[in-house]
Amino acid sequence: MAGSNEVNVNESKKVVPLNTWVLISNFKLAYNLLRRPDGSFNRHLAEFLERKVPANANPVDGVFSFDVIIDRGIGLLSRIYRPTDAEEGLPSITELEKPLSSDVVPVIIFFHGGSFAHSSANSAIYDTLCRRLVGICKGVVVSVNYRRAPENHYPCAYEDGWAALNWVNSRLWLQSQKDSKVHIYLAGDSSGGNIVHNVALRAGESGIDVLGNIVLNPMFGGERRTESEKRLDGKYFVTIQDRDWYWRAFLPDGEDRDHPACNPFGPKGISLEGIKFPKSLVVVAGLDLLQDWQLAYVEGLKKAGQEVKLLYMKQATIGFYLLPNNDHFYTVMDEISNFVSSN
Amino acid sequence: MGTYDKSISSGSSSSSKPPDQIDSLLSGAGYKVRSSELRTVAQSLERLDNVLVNNYLEISHHLSNDAIHYNPSDLFSWVDSLLSEFNQPVPMPDQSTLSDPAYVNTLVVPTLDPTVNAGVWTEHHAAPQHGIQQQLTVVTAMEEDPGIQLVHVLMTCADTIQRGELSLAGTLIEKLQDLLTRVNTGFGMGKVAGYFIEALSRRLFSTLLYTNRSVYESEFLYHNFYEACPYLKFAHFTANQAILEAFDGHDCVHVIDFSFMQGLQWPALIQALALRSGGPPFLRLTGIGPPSSDGHDSLSEVGLRLAELARFMNVRFVFRGVVASRLDDIKPCELQVNPNEAVAINSIMQLHRLLNSNSTHNSSIDFVLAWIRNLNPIIMTVVEQEANHNQPEFFDRFTAALYYYSTLFDSLEACSAQPEKALAEMYIQRELCNVVCCEGSARVERHEPLATWRVRLSGAGFKPLQLGSNAFKQASMLLTLFSAEGYCVEENEGCLTLGWHNRPLIAASAWQAVAEPRPPLEH
Repeated sequence: MAGSNEVNVNESKKVVPLNTWVLISNFKLAYNLLRRPDGSFNRHLAEFLERKVPANANPVDGVFSFDVIIDRGIGLLSRIYRPTDAEEGLPSITELEKPLSSDVVPVIIFFHGGSFAHSSANSAIYDTLCRRLVGICKGVVVSVNYRRAPENHYPCAYEDGWAALNWVNSRLWLQSQKDSKVHIYLAGDSSGGNIVHNVALRAGESGIDVLGNIVLNPMFGGERRTESEKRLDGKYFVTIQDRDWYWRAFLPDGEDRDHPACNPFGPKGISLEGIKFPKSLVVVAGLDLLQDWQLAYVEGLKKAGQEVKLLYMKQATIGFYLLPNNDHFYTVMDEISNFVSSN
Repeated sequence: MGTYDKSISSGSSSSSKPPDQIDSLLSGAGYKVRSSELRTVAQSLERLDNVLVNNYLEISHHLSNDAIHYNPSDLFSWVDSLLSEFNQPVPMPDQSTLSDPAYVNTLVVPTLDPTVNAGVWTEHHAAPQHGIQQQLTVVTAMEEDPGIQLVHVLMTCADTIQRGELSLAGTLIEKLQDLLTRVNTGFGMGKVAGYFIEALSRRLFSTLLYTNRSVYESEFLYHNFYEACPYLKFAHFTANQAILEAFDGHDCVHVIDFSFMQGLQWPALIQALALRSGGPPFLRLTGIGPPSSDGHDSLSEVGLRLAELARFMNVRFVFRGVVASRLDDIKPCELQVNPNEAVAINSIMQLHRLLNSNSTHNSSIDFVLAWIRNLNPIIMTVVEQEANHNQPEFFDRFTAALYYYSTLFDSLEACSAQPEKALAEMYIQRELCNVVCCEGSARVERHEPLATWRVRLSGAGFKPLQLGSNAFKQASMLLTLFSAEGYCVEENEGCLTLGWHNRPLIAASAWQAVAEPRPPLEH
């Protein structure tokens, strides 16, 4: 690890509020305990430590939620978040799947982060984030509880994302009144951002319309060590070593980090030129050691003629969007709102 | 040591509030930390980080595999417990819990600092009880299920009943019965709707609302519910693990079982006590059961069989049966508790039966909790349905029950053993019927959620004994081995819940009486 640990810890303390530092450091500590050097994962302890919340069909701050079984065979669940219909007052419990009443309602399929191994759709931090997204986008959020590594390697998470996309696309009650179509956006942070890219690719190939991708600190990588990885290794909660562990846990056995799932614009990547692909909003944190890979992702999209907007938050660390106690949070939420409403 | 960026941290919630407030942003993330303690927690995290960096493999292995973790929501205590873990010499790594069915794990004995946790409990859980009552968790397979259309009419019917429009309700019941004929009632919402329609119809039309069932029949259905799905097994082995740990170091122990029901829970505990290091204690077991209608003394019969098992395992054992229709009929002296014995109270789905509709004046439950406390048990294990079936408004109760029981029935679909499954469904149906049809003293299935029980038990002079990661792991592993996929164990601030498809259905917790303050010197 570059630099002494004391120096590293001091660096991160200077740039985030105290409660954020505590939250992310707590995750870092817990995750360190869960990853084993032999590549196995202490799933029991992970589930024990994870803070979860149940769905609530009674509205809280104008948002209610309920869980749906998308695929019983693999146990794929998603949590649906809807805004309360202001005219109707409290939603009757019979009206969970009541058709959307507005002309245009964005439906955001959300993939939580956790480096493919951690967290769930019912994790407290992601339940909170999804509720916020409902308010910001004035739409419905569908948070997918995809299968995780290392128990499930590539392409399980992508398969689950694809299943969720098809499910959402075929719900009559999620259609916007204006054109009787579901207005779909894909969103995700960390590994969720990576899943967004892959599901969007498949959507383009299969003719399902995705109106936009929102990726926050997306998880990409590659075999070579980039400058940002070397410079920021261990400084802001994340190490190269832990990133390597998660890629080994997710990628197929024997594959290296130039596998296209990890490195979409790398030596084994495909060209996106001429391919149907949604416009993207890519948020990169300036203190995230993965930023060179994320910036390369943006460049790759641009070179292929795809529409992409980069939001580079210079002083942001990973997880800045989890607590609304910093400017980056509000900037990004505004951008997401504009991105979704500009269709 | 670096300083935190003050201009940014003023955005946190700690600046202008009284220092012992809980940080609201972290609370939203599932962590309860006092603002005044944030800095200390941060320092502890930093120390742990430094230690891990220098001794990663050794420390990480120990903390991950051997240490027992408690209540991760209480970040202050959790981080503190990790620090104290490696300040002690690392114990010899030993057997894995899987190989030892008697769940021997004596590396860490759960203890509790009453000052820290009592404060967190009373402060936090006194607050939004109203908000707690309104939680409604729904898991649904949605329109794949043709029975879902019945839900709309069921809800409307419940609403008309609540408003007293009984003749309209009757018409809706007829409509429901008609709809039912066009839906597959063999599975899914169609099947569940059938039960609810029947319950509503009994509520409206039946003069015989509460049939007296034979004890034999009740026990028979209970036994099948036990076999067909893991809820009772989870209740038993989680309670037994906590009791086993609480009995550590005690030579005379007395378990009082509030609902003996053929004693299914106890062979495993007898075995575990037999195998504990240092040898078994003298075990007294008092089983409480209802009077039998046919003169058949099943309490004693089962007691005799348990005594034989105990003798075979070289555990000194005495069984007593206590007959009572209701827990508040019991006089504590009947339980014959000796002052020198460690007492464990075991209540599996019994406490809710003592509740009534009045949330403030609950003499039965208060009376029973008071005499429990006076017995000064070293542990009280409580398992309850994780549901809100005692709300004042009928419509709210009905809605909660609809989604609770539909999830419960859904989990039962995974069971293929017959006739266990069919009989287990009957068991559930009777419980559901009581929630929907009955009122007043006949309605005994007055389930309340864990959050409400926490407030009630804390108010009655009990403090939580936390269930740790060892109990969690054990429950998860046993589920993986013996039950279908879809069941999930969750940790909830020192308690464990078992649910289906991320919806908790049953909650297990453990409690201890708060020590009485010293009595004044003069009388």
